[in-house]
Amino acid sequence: MTQFLLRRIVHAVATVIIAVSLVFLAIRSLPNNPILARYGQHAPPGEIEEMMAQEGWNEPLLVQLRNFLADLFLRGDLGHSFQSPGQSVSEELARRLPATLELTLAAMLLALPIGITAGIIAALGRNRAPDYLCMTGAMIGVSVPVFFLGICLLSIFHQMPAGDRLPVWSEFHFHTGFWLIESLVRGEFSLTGELLRHLCLPAIALSTIPMAIIARITRASMVDTLASDWIRTARAKGASRWGVVLRHALPNAAIPITNIAGFQIGLLLSGAVLTETVFSWPGLGSYIVEAVLHSDYAVVQGGALVVAILFVVTNLVLDVVCAWLDPRIRLA
Amino acid sequence: MTIHRIHFFAVVCIALSAVACKRSAPPSNTLIYGRSSDADTLDPIHTTSGETVKVLVNIYDTLVTYRELTPEQADQGIDPLEIVPSLATDWSPSNDGRSWTFHLRREVKFHDGTPFNADAVIFSFDRFLKHATPVPPYRPQFSLIEEITKEDDFTVTFTLRKPSPIFLQKLAMFPTAIVSPTAVKKEGDDFGIRPAGTGPFRFQNWDRGEDTIRLTAFDDHWRGRSKIDRLIFQAIGENTNRAERLKRGEVHIADNLPPSTLDGLAGHEDIVIQERPGLNTGYLSINCERPPLNNVKVRRAIWHAIDKAHLIRLAYAGKAEPAVSVVPSEMWGHADHLVDRPYDVDEAIRLLNEGAAEESFTLPLKLRLFTMNEARPYLTQPPETALFIRDALLEIGIEAEIKIGNVPEYFQQLSRGEHDLGLIGWSPDYVDPHNFLFSLLDPDSISDAGGNNVCRYRNAKIHDLLEQAEFESNNERRLAIYHEVQQIVFDEAPLVPLVHAEIRVAQSADLGGYFVHPASMERVRLSFFRDTTP
Repeated sequence: MTQFLLRRIVHAVATVIIAVSLVFLAIRSLPNNPILARYGQHAPPGEIEEMMAQEGWNEPLLVQLRNFLADLFLRGDLGHSFQSPGQSVSEELARRLPATLELTLAAMLLALPIGITAGIIAALGRNRAPDYLCMTGAMIGVSVPVFFLGICLLSIFHQMPAGDRLPVWSEFHFHTGFWLIESLVRGEFSLTGELLRHLCLPAIALSTIPMAIIARITRASMVDTLASDWIRTARAKGASRWGVVLRHALPNAAIPITNIAGFQIGLLLSGAVLTETVFSWPGLGSYIVEAVLHSDYAVVQGGALVVAILFVVTNLVLDVVCAWLDPRIRLA
Repeated sequence: MTIHRIHFFAVVCIALSAVACKRSAPPSNTLIYGRSSDADTLDPIHTTSGETVKVLVNIYDTLVTYRELTPEQADQGIDPLEIVPSLATDWSPSNDGRSWTFHLRREVKFHDGTPFNADAVIFSFDRFLKHATPVPPYRPQFSLIEEITKEDDFTVTFTLRKPSPIFLQKLAMFPTAIVSPTAVKKEGDDFGIRPAGTGPFRFQNWDRGEDTIRLTAFDDHWRGRSKIDRLIFQAIGENTNRAERLKRGEVHIADNLPPSTLDGLAGHEDIVIQERPGLNTGYLSINCERPPLNNVKVRRAIWHAIDKAHLIRLAYAGKAEPAVSVVPSEMWGHADHLVDRPYDVDEAIRLLNEGAAEESFTLPLKLRLFTMNEARPYLTQPPETALFIRDALLEIGIEAEIKIGNVPEYFQQLSRGEHDLGLIGWSPDYVDPHNFLFSLLDPDSISDAGGNNVCRYRNAKIHDLLEQAEFESNNERRLAIYHEVQQIVFDEAPLVPLVHAEIRVAQSADLGGYFVHPASMERVRLSFFRDTTP
C-alpha cells in the first residue's frame, strides 16, 4: 500500500507541474494584451510597450516560465493581479477556495444520498414505475441548464437570499475562509443559520447534475450486481430484501459510484462557474474565467495551480478509497 | 439505510428551516448600489473603468466639476454639464490663455485629517503626471500641462504648453482628483485599496472576494454631510439576479440592465426607472482598409440600408435617439445642420451595384460583422443589434457573418482591424466634441495596440482640422471646424452612426435625490430615503 501511495504521489506532483506550465504557455500564446484588456478603449497610446517591459512580459516565454516557477518554488509567491492592482493572488485564492469547497461539499451532500437512493430504487423497480420516475428525474436533472435552474429557483423562493455568502450589510468578520465551520466552532448558531440560508439555493442548483449522474450510474451498477449468482445465493440463504441490497449488493456496486462521484467533485471544484455567476457566489470558477478573459496572467496561473492540485488530490483520495474498497486494485 | 435516513432528514430540516426564516433587510439609511462588475482599483490615476469611476466620484473631489444636482433640479432645466467650482473656488486664465490661476477652498480636510492646500494639489498632479508607475492611462491626455506652481498656500497656477479651450473640461476628469499626500506616502502601492480623498464618503473596506466596497458618510465634508450614512457598491454580475435583488429590496439601485429586464421591472410598484439622455454614441464601424469597403459608395450603401428608427424600437426598446454624427446631439458641438441619409433600400442597392462595378466584385458580398458579448451604455443588446443589421444588409445583397467576441478581446480585435464591420461606440472621457472626433476618426488614433479609430479611416484633412481646433480659443471658430469635420465624416461614411442611447437605471421608489448624470458622475451625496429622512 505504501509503494502504491508513493507512486501515486509522484505522478500527482508531475501532473500539477505539467498542467500549470501548459496553462502558463497557453494563456501567453493568445493574441490578447493584458494592458489593453485592462484599459480597453482608453489605453494610453505609445506607452503599452513600456508597460509590457515593466511587467517582464516582453521576455521569451521560456524565461518567463522559469522565473514563474522559481518564484513559485523558492518563494511561494504567486504574484499580483494586473487587472486589480494591489490584489495578491495567493490571498484571493485563499479567500475563494473555502467558498468553493463549502458550496461543493453542500452540493455533494445533497447529490450523493439522493442520487444513490434514487439509483437503488430504480434498480429494484427495474422497468417499472419507480425506475421510469427516477430516470426521468435524472434525465431532467442532467438536461436542465444550471443557469436556467438557478434563475427559476431565484424567482420561486422569494424568501431566500438571492446570492452571496452573507448579506453585504453584515458586519461580521471571520478569521478563516470556512465561514460555516467557523460559525459552528464559535457557537454563533444564528449566523450558521444565515450562512445555510445563503448556501441553500446555490447548493441545490449545483447538485442537480451530479445527482442525476450518480443516480444513473448507481442504477446501472446495481442492476448488474443484483443479477449476480451470489446475490441469488444470499437470497436463497434467507437474507432480507434490504439486507441483500445494502449489505451485499451496494458495497460491490460502490466502485463505479465512487469513481464518478470523485470525478464530479473535481468538476464542481473548478467548474461551478455558472452557479457562481447566477448567485454571485465568490468562488474559484468565476474568478479564473474572468482572469482568462482579461489575460490576467498571474491569476490564471495561480488558479490553474489550485485547480490542478484539487483535481490531483481528489483523484488520489479516490484511488485510495477504491483500493480500500476493492483489494484487487491494490494488487494490480 | 440509517445513514441515508439521517442525511435525508438533515437536508429536509435545513431546507424547511431556511424557507421558514424571514428574509433579512438592509439597515436603515444604507444605500446599496448594485452594478455589473467590481472596481479595479480606487486610485484615481490608475483606472479607465466606468465601474471604478462610480466609486471614485464619491470618495474624491477635483478642482472643478460638473454640476451636482437632484432629478427635480434637472427637470427644471438646470444644466448638469456646466463646470462649477469644487476644491477650487474660482479661477482665471491669463490674457494669452497659457496660464490659469486657481484659488483653493479653505478649511477642507482629507478623510485622514490631512488639511487640503496648494501642496496637496501639486503633490497629486506631480504624482499623476510625473512619478507614478506604471504610466497612468490618462497621462498622455494631460501633456498640455507644462508646469504647476504654488503662489501661496491656497493659490496655484497651471502653465500650459499652448492655450487650450478644453482645459477646464479635462480638469473635471477623475484622474485629476486630489489625493491625501499623507495617505499616499503611508500606503505606497496599497493606496489603491486604502484610499483617502476629500469627497462626501470615506473608504471603509473593500471585500474583493465578495466584490463589495463599503463607504461611510464623511462628517467633515466641505459641502455638508451626506444624508446617507453608508454607501455600499456591490457587483452582481448576472442581470437577472441584480434585478431580482432590487425587487426584494436588497439593493436600491441596479444599473446596466438590458431593456427587456427593465421593462419587466417597470410594472413593479416599489421600483422606478430613471431615464436620462446619455452622452454616448453607438455606431457601426466600417473597416476602410479592407476592399471593397474602401469604396465610399459601398459604405454609403450600408448607411442607407439601416432603418435606425426600427432598430431603436427592436433593440433599444425605443429608448434611444437616431444618430447622424458621432458627436451626441445633447452636446455642444453637434452638427445640427446634418440631415440623415434616409433608410432607402433601392438607393442602397443602386450604390452597392455601382460600387461592385467600380471595385469589380460580385454580389452577394460576404462580410464579417463583429459584435460583443456584453452590453455597453451605447449598445444595450449587442447580439440583437447585430442580427438586425445582418438582416438589413441581406436585403441589399450583403451577407454578413456575425462574430461575437468577449469584451476585453473584442476591443483589441477591432483595434487590429480584424473585422469588416464592427458594432462599437463611445462614452466620452470629457464632455467635448474633440474627445469623440479625435479618438474615433483622427489618423493618429489608428494603432494595432488599442487605437480607437477602429474604422482605420485615414484623412489628413481631418487631422489638420482637429489639430487646429484643439488650440483654437475662439469658440465660434472652433465650432465651425467641428461642424466641418462632421460634414466630411458624413460624406465619407467611414462609420454609420446608429444611436445615442438613453441611460436607464432602475431604483427603489423610496430613494430620492439620486440623479443619473449624463457625464457618468454617479454622486449620491444628495440622495436620501423618503421614509427614513424627514
